[in-house]
Amino acid sequence: MQKRARLNGKSPGGCGDGRLRAGAPAPVRVGDLARLATRIRLHAVHMVGIQGFGYLGQALSAAEIFAALYGGGLMRPGWDRFCLSPAHYAVVHYAAAAEVGLLHPEALKSYGRDGTELEAISTERTPLLDLTCGSLAQVISGAIGFALASRYAKDDRRVFALLSDGEMEEGQTWEAAMFAAHHALDRLAVVIDANNSQVDGQVNSVTTLEPLADKWRAFGWRALEVDGHDADALVASMQSTASERKPLVVIGRTQILGGLKSVPATADGHFLKLDPALKAAVIAELEARLA
Amino acid sequence: MLRPPYEIVLKPYGKALVELARERTDIICLSGDLTRQTETDLFRDALPDRFINVGMAEANMIGIAGGLARAGHTVFVNTFGVFCTRRCYDQVAMAIAYPNLDVKIVGFMPGLSSPGGPSHQAIDDVALMRALPNMTVVDLADAVEISQAVRAVVERRGPVYLRLKRGEIPVVSEASRRFSLHEAQVAKKGREACIVASGMMVPAALVAADVLDANGVSTCVINSPVIKPLDAATIVAAARGARAVVTAENHSVIGGLGSAVAEALAEAGVGVPLRRIGVADVFAESGSREYLFDRYNLGVQNIVDAAWITIAPTKPVPAAPAMPLTAGTYAPV
Ligand SMILES: Cc1ncc(C[n+]2csc(CCOP(=O)(O)OP(=O)(O)O)c2C)c(N)n1
Repeated sequence: MQKRARLNGKSPGGCGDGRLRAGAPAPVRVGDLARLATRIRLHAVHMVGIQGFGYLGQALSAAEIFAALYGGGLMRPGWDRFCLSPAHYAVVHYAAAAEVGLLHPEALKSYGRDGTELEAISTERTPLLDLTCGSLAQVISGAIGFALASRYAKDDRRVFALLSDGEMEEGQTWEAAMFAAHHALDRLAVVIDANNSQVDGQVNSVTTLEPLADKWRAFGWRALEVDGHDADALVASMQSTASERKPLVVIGRTQILGGLKSVPATADGHFLKLDPALKAAVIAELEARLA
Repeated sequence: MLRPPYEIVLKPYGKALVELARERTDIICLSGDLTRQTETDLFRDALPDRFINVGMAEANMIGIAGGLARAGHTVFVNTFGVFCTRRCYDQVAMAIAYPNLDVKIVGFMPGLSSPGGPSHQAIDDVALMRALPNMTVVDLADAVEISQAVRAVVERRGPVYLRLKRGEIPVVSEASRRFSLHEAQVAKKGREACIVASGMMVPAALVAADVLDANGVSTCVINSPVIKPLDAATIVAAARGARAVVTAENHSVIGGLGSAVAEALAEAGVGVPLRRIGVADVFAESGSREYLFDRYNLGVQNIVDAAWITIAPTKPVPAAPAMPLTAGTYAPV
């Protein structure tokens, strides 16, 4: 067994696992969220670059969503819940957690390796998550369970769940959507990385999800659509309140390759091949943004 | 059967399915957003009119397959093993198994051959499918058998669960091998120990038998790709008179090949000690095949140990040879 990932003195409870702590500590607030997103992408390039292929597109598309969630002052660590539904997005979770000091950056080097705690598809062993599942579209139901538990406990925890757009194809998503609205679970916020990508290519070539926002509205949710590469807009939409007691869904419209010019538009974004030349080009493009 | 290192073949299932579907125009191919991964990109490109990508919606896909089959089609459903068994079990039971329809469910990435952790590791699929009336259950990881099995499962009317290795498929059988849904294969003769294996564990069983033979324990190997209906006659005949029976499967020790063999031996009154090599009733983790097979005791040495400890408990266990993995070949752990 390789060494367990070091967690920078923090328990694996971190920003998730509210069971470990009572009370509501202050959320992490990072000044420049666009910069945080770029740094998240850079970490991911290094992590996936070790093997030369993997779930990099997910980090390129969801970097701002994770910057907003982990650095946007939304989640109170150890109190609010964070549920990562598409487990192959774990790479973005690790990168973001390292950036906000919840995970030791050294630990990222073990990503995806034999014996690692930082598995490429997150599992019950994954640090810092309240819930995740590699069999997709199950986590929204667990998030509802957390929201109901908060209601029983009469506390003020919020439950955030990140979903991918491919998951909208599973029936369970819509069973959950109907239930959450019926029970007026207004403490539940779902964020969708709507990157129009799934294994076999573009989501809209496989099935028709649109009109996505209208579907959620028809199911009784408050649905907001934002540019998923605008972290401040994401934060604002997740902080927005309404008089009606409805669960909130924020649809972040993103590009699977995160708008990077160095990656050919024809690349398979779901499982990106990153040869040394492409890796160098992507790193150069991202580092130029930080300069 | 051959010994490692094995030559590797790509997409033997995908090729065989296209070939058969050109003849059999009743065949429809469904995919659940894992088309290249299930070798059915070949079908999609060759016969696009009879290929449907249902998307990531396995329960729906099974129901659609049932409807197509009721209307007279022979339907191949393709995804990872976990997603066409666990994820939609009641749909498989009610929409396919109970009405005894011509749906062939093809589940890739068996047992611990997936690096994706418990959500992607089909360690219970054989048990689940075996429990369903009408269902035939086949576990294959040999290119020669796979090429022939596609036709065989179509010729056998009714539902079949075909469990296939993903990616690089080794050539373990001789070219002369004739795959049968009714007969297990005596891959190697022997009297004292009897190893019964399926799928990805067959190469390990063969090497383990050679090690045991070389150390004075005459060992037979039964290749039993069909787990239901099990060829009990061949297995009972080989086990009778042996001093140890070892089953080897890339699956939980509960409900799969090991359980099926135990039932067959007990019902035949064969009182030979039985050891089951398989996943020991635990959820595993992420990791390469080599790492996980070693960590969860699915290696050659584990089979040797199981037979040896039963037959010669006081003597030191012989060591299995190291199996170097050279690029472009396949070897057991
Ligand atoms: C229930 C289930 N079915 C199939 C899969 C295999 N799978 C893994 S990711 C994926 C595509 C999911 O779409 P999405 O998350 O939107 O893709 P991305 O944005 O990462 O390209 C599929 C089908 C799975 N993990 N779970």
